[in-house]
Amino acid sequence: MVVSAGPAPRDTGRHPAAPERGGPPTATRRGVVRGLLAPALALPLTSLAAASPPGAAGFDEHYRGRRLQGAATPAGGWRVTVDGRPLHLMRRADGTWLSTIDHYCSYPTPLAAARAAVDELGPGHHPRTTTVHGGHGHPEGGHHGVLA
Amino acid sequence: MAYSRKDVSTLTRAERRRFVKALLELKRRGEYDEFVRIHIAYYVPDGEDGLRTAHMAPSFLPWHRRFVLELERALRRVDPSVSVPYWDWTKDRSTTGAPWTADLLGGTGRRSDLRVTTGPFAHAAGHWTLTENVTDTEYLTRDLGRPRAPIDLPTRRDLDSALADPVYDAHPWDSTAAKGFRNKLEGWGPGRGSASWRNHNRVHRWVGGAMTGGAAVNDPVFWLVHAFLDLQWSRWQRRHRGARYLPAAPPGRNSAQHGRIVARHERLPPWDVTPDELEDHSRIYRYG
Repeated sequence: MVVSAGPAPRDTGRHPAAPERGGPPTATRRGVVRGLLAPALALPLTSLAAASPPGAAGFDEHYRGRRLQGAATPAGGWRVTVDGRPLHLMRRADGTWLSTIDHYCSYPTPLAAARAAVDELGPGHHPRTTTVHGGHGHPEGGHHGVLA
Repeated sequence: MAYSRKDVSTLTRAERRRFVKALLELKRRGEYDEFVRIHIAYYVPDGEDGLRTAHMAPSFLPWHRRFVLELERALRRVDPSVSVPYWDWTKDRSTTGAPWTADLLGGTGRRSDLRVTTGPFAHAAGHWTLTENVTDTEYLTRDLGRPRAPIDLPTRRDLDSALADPVYDAHPWDSTAAKGFRNKLEGWGPGRGSASWRNHNRVHRWVGGAMTGGAAVNDPVFWLVHAFLDLQWSRWQRRHRGARYLPAAPPGRNSAQHGRIVARHERLPPWDVTPDELEDHSRIYRYG
């Protein structure tokens, strides 16, 4: 599929406050550091540097009894785990993030999206990756219109 | 002869019982879980590559119209008298009234783990184990009104602000579109946090639990929510005579949205149908 090749057509019609897709990396990194320093419920046990590949913003923290780890991938996405289980994060066009567990709002950073997912997870439960991927299956195909 | 979709608060005791029974039968047969799978699979956000059909796209409304219709067809194969009722959350705003009664969807989840413990979809009743999910939770969860950080259901006024927009959808055809009925109804508002949850998105949040995630279909209220949204599309069409689904033609090659959204006469996966063919439901069902 075609991805934006230039910034020109993407801005018109946007909310004024919306940053460019992907978000500025520096802001993301600041958000991560702020997150690690936040006193409420977050208990940073491992240093950022120790958990992250060199040059990438990452996080490794305990939040509400869960270990959250995240690292940027070369493709611009994030690999995030909750207690070692993969949490699927997705990007919005305004540069914010959402997870499969918290799907109807989005968050400024991958860490914020991961924490929001933990907020929704019941005690003792974990994210589960699904075996299906968007846009390729046609399980209900073959019908025409409302009037089928 | 078109059948009727009714306001859930007006269903008779027998209608409630038959609707629930048909849902449980689809679940028993494994058909229901296919709907959960499809919804998870087709959630492609607008910051990711690829074709978006179900969310953050113009086809949010026709996609869900067809999706509800497929469920309804399955229900009617079980019991031809059944249709999907709608929940008017601008009117029925209590956490204990319709549709949250024990003879319909059951109530909110218990405090410790949000597990729904009342009604036919409570796990302990033995008929509603979640198998397709984004977490390993096997029981239905809800958190009506989110007591730990309360939010309100969207209001009549919120709905009216979407219905007042005379344009169906607008550039850039995604969750950041500041104009257009579709995005205002889907509810991706500007700003962060709860300010950005409007109409559809806000209802998902208000119900909470399973409805917060990609596997929202695991909560049968999903269908009642989307039937009401579907009704809004019809109301919008009546209010703005002649207004059509947009875009009418696919975005050009130079557009960032080229190949990522469905135009009026393009096929809407996973079905072999176009938004154009889904704009008028009056020969199939009507809203009572």
